[in-house]
Formats: sequence, structure tokens, C-alpha cells
Amino acid sequence: MSETVIRDYARAKGFHRQTLERWLGWAPADRDALEEIAIGLKTSENHLREMMDWLEEISLRDRSKIYDILGKHEIFSIQTNPRLGRADKLKRIKEQLRRWRLPRLAGVEDAIRHNIQALKLPAEIRLSVPPGLEGGRLRAEISAGSLAEFQQLARRLSDAAATNWLAEIFQRLSGEPAEKEPGRNGS
Amino acid sequence: MEHRPFSEVIVERGSESSPIFFNLRRTLGHLPFTMVDCIESSGGLGAVRSAAFGAAKKTLYLARHKGDFLKKCPGSEGQVCCNYFVINFASNCPMDCSYCYLQEYLADNSALQVFSNVTDLIDETERTLARHRGVFFRIGTGEITDSLALEPYTGMVAELIPYFAEQPNVLLELKTKSDRVESLLDLDPKGRVVVAWSMNPQRVIDLDEHGTASLDARLAAARRCQQAGYRLGFHFDPMIEYPSWESDYRSMLEQIFATIDWRKLSWLSLGVLRQTPGLKRAMRERFPRSELLTGEQVLCPDGKMRYFQPLRVEMYRKMVHWIRRAAPTVKIYLCMESRDVWEQVFGFAPTCEKELGNQMAPGVP
Repeated sequence: MSETVIRDYARAKGFHRQTLERWLGWAPADRDALEEIAIGLKTSENHLREMMDWLEEISLRDRSKIYDILGKHEIFSIQTNPRLGRADKLKRIKEQLRRWRLPRLAGVEDAIRHNIQALKLPAEIRLSVPPGLEGGRLRAEISAGSLAEFQQLARRLSDAAATNWLAEIFQRLSGEPAEKEPGRNGS
Repeated sequence: MEHRPFSEVIVERGSESSPIFFNLRRTLGHLPFTMVDCIESSGGLGAVRSAAFGAAKKTLYLARHKGDFLKKCPGSEGQVCCNYFVINFASNCPMDCSYCYLQEYLADNSALQVFSNVTDLIDETERTLARHRGVFFRIGTGEITDSLALEPYTGMVAELIPYFAEQPNVLLELKTKSDRVESLLDLDPKGRVVVAWSMNPQRVIDLDEHGTASLDARLAAARRCQQAGYRLGFHFDPMIEYPSWESDYRSMLEQIFATIDWRKLSWLSLGVLRQTPGLKRAMRERFPRSELLTGEQVLCPDGKMRYFQPLRVEMYRKMVHWIRRAAPTVKIYLCMESRDVWEQVFGFAPTCEKELGNQMAPGVP
């Protein structure tokens, strides 16, 4: 039954033969679990392939079944969230799978995000790190409408540069263990 | 080391006068030898092209190489380069590492070929070395084959060493995962030959370096080469990250420095596992259970996937620390890494490829 559904879906979406064969090559329970998400969310081939890569690799690493991974409550709660549209559900499911696939990278990204938030910078100053942290650089963008505003924002950024929060970001980007001091005020 | 017997040898006419042909007849005489006019048109290579990559390693081809032998190492786009040259005296490798980039690079031409025109190889090298006597060359032979894995059959390296030993402006690097050094030991390299081993803990060798020599065997071979007057190098590349990688790599380094006199090492290099998405697809097909597929890798600007930067920088730093404790002044470089990573690991990056190349190729005693 599910094989026919999958074949029809792949044909309708114009999937490459390799993608279809790979999907059909999975154990029936795994195949069906993905079918529920992929077809329900009208997933494109590129998104599907990425999800398949991650699912196979998580399964291999954790010696778990793909249907168990897709059956976790984190996925279920996204799938059944009535406030989310189809595109948001797919985006969040992919984000969750990426977190499981790259847990330490996600941990460093979360910690850096936490550090940036702790700086409490105004919206006109944006700090960001590259995707996957590759390059190891922090990017700072200032948006100002006047010289006075620019000078004020530059001072804020300069103050931020003196805090441990910012030092910690660079430690994390360069693979050094950041100091762990709960409750530290960051100054 | 596991021997991968060939099922046959196919020889292109015109190769019969080559010393490599004589060596193959002597060492593989029990196999069928088929003579063909041209391996390209005989259907031989074409048949191999469509065969599975692993199956292609069963047939050994001997033919003349029609292009240039000596080439600049392509490196990787945007990465710090070590100004290295390569000589390809063979194509493909009898070993079968699950991460091997040849699975993608030679996917359409995976025949295991050895080139018979050694004289052309030496003549071409001579022209380049003679034209640039003021330049010091580092030339490797392990780019698209293992430098020594076929040596017991072909005797290729034994043909080359006497020439390179006499050249004033070159170091020849033989890069290998084998222990097949027998033919080297009676030759005098005169300081011009570095025998370098790609090293990994035994766990990685067992799981992902199929058909290669064990760690103990590689080290024993390295020691014999050192005693025979060869310079040595070690390439910790690809470094693999897994739960016990730290203790495994540390133990391996202790074992190396307990066996080898580090003061006679020419260089060490470090590089983490990296692959293009295409290579990863090939790995997934050929080695679907390999844990190498599960590392925390991201796509880098040069199109290769590597462990995410903070993770691999931490790995490099630890390796450098452990190496420096045992061998304080040994030369260490990173293979195919960006200036940012060099800065984070060493606190500096070479200003240009010539600087790194010169550091690696000092005057020979």
C-alpha cells in the first residue's frame, strides 16, 4: 500500500530514481514513518534527501530505528501543532533533526546565541556567526541613521566588547572551553 | 598486511621492455598476462569503468602514461597550500579505505594502472629540476595511489630512488599505509627521500582502512627505513573523531615516539576527515555501516565537509600539544585548512604557500 503511495508521490514531484529507490529500500516501518511526514508536508526532493541523510546517520550512530526517531514527542508535537502551517512544520522538523544529527554543534550555537542575548544590545546592533560556525568569525552589523546614533551604538558595542560574554563567544568559536560560572554577571 | 591478489594482468604492447614489466612477470608470473594493443580501445578499461570500484582493484593494468607525470598538487580552494608537487606513476590503489577520495575522483576511470614508461617519468622530472635548480621541490608519489602498496610487484620505487638520490634540489616523499619497504632498504637515499606513513589508531585501521598494514607493521617498517638512512614523515590524516579518539591518538603518538627518533623526522601533518557530498554518497553506497558517516561535519567554503570548526580546532590543538611534549621542535603543518584554522591552532598562518613549502623543504645535510 505505502509503496504505491510513495511511488505516486515521487512521480508527481519528479523525484530522481535514486531518491525513490533509496526511500523504498528502507524497512517498511521506517518507510511509512517518513511517508507520513514527507507527503503530509508536501516535502520537496531536496528537503527529503537531507532528512533521509540525517535520519540514516542518526540511526547508524545511535543504533536506533528511523521510525523510533520520527516517533519521538518532539516531532509529534510539531506535526500536531495547530498553530503551525505546513512550511513552518517542515522547517521545525528539519531543525529538530539537525539538532539530533549535530548535537554538539547545536549546543555551541545555542550557547553563542545565549551569550549574544545576554549582551542586551539594541536592535540596531546585530551580532551573528557563520552557518555551521565555519570561519570562526563573529560578524557585527550596525544600523544607524545619524552620526550621533552611530557613535552611541559604537559605544554600546565597545562596552559589550569588554564583557566576558563576548570573550566567551570567541572562546567557543575557537574550540576553547568557555568558563562555566552559573549566575555570572558577564562583566 | 592483507594481500589483495590480482586475478590477472593486462599489458599494453610497447610496455614489454619496461623494467616494470619484467618485475611483474617475475612476481606475478602465476597469473594470466593478457597482451593488448591499446588498453583504451581494447575494451579493457571501458569494462572496468562500468564495474564496481572495488572490483576494479582485481585487475592490474600496465600501460604507457601519455600525459605529464609531474604536476602541482591541486590542494583545496581557499586553503593554505604547502607548495607540493606530485608524480603519478600509478592510478588507483589496491587498498580500500572507506574514506578514500579516489572513490569519487576515479569513479569513471577506476582501473588499477601502473605506468611502464619510467624513463619518460625521469626525463620529464629531470627537465623540470634542471630548469629550476634554485627552487627546492617536494615531490610526492602518493596522490592517486599508495606509494609502496604495489612495490613488491612493480619495483617502481626502487627504479626511481637512485635518480632522486642524486638530485640537489628535491625531496621525494613516498606516502604509504603499507609495510612494503623491502626494496628500499639496500638503496642509499642520500637524504633525498622521505618515507611517510599515514597513521591512525588500530581501531580506525580495523574499521575503515581495509587491506592496509596494521599500526605495528607500519611502525616496524618506519623504523627499518630510518635505520636504512631514510628521512621519515607521518601524516595524521584523516584524523577521525569518535568517543575514545583522544586516548587512542595519544597512545598511538606515544607508540610512535617510543619507536622512532623524532629528531630525524622531516615533518608531521594533521588533517581531519573531509569529503565532498559526492564522496559521501559513494561511501554511503560502498560502506553503509561506516561510522565515519556520522561525524558532526558541515559543508565548508571549498565544497568539502569537515568536522565543525571549533571541534576540529580542538582536535588539532590537542594533537599538537601531545606531539610537542614528545617532539618539541618537529615541523607540523595542517593539510587543506584555512588561514583562520591555522591562526586558531598555531597563532599564525603562513603568509604564502612558498613560505610553508620552504619550511618543509630545508637544505639537505
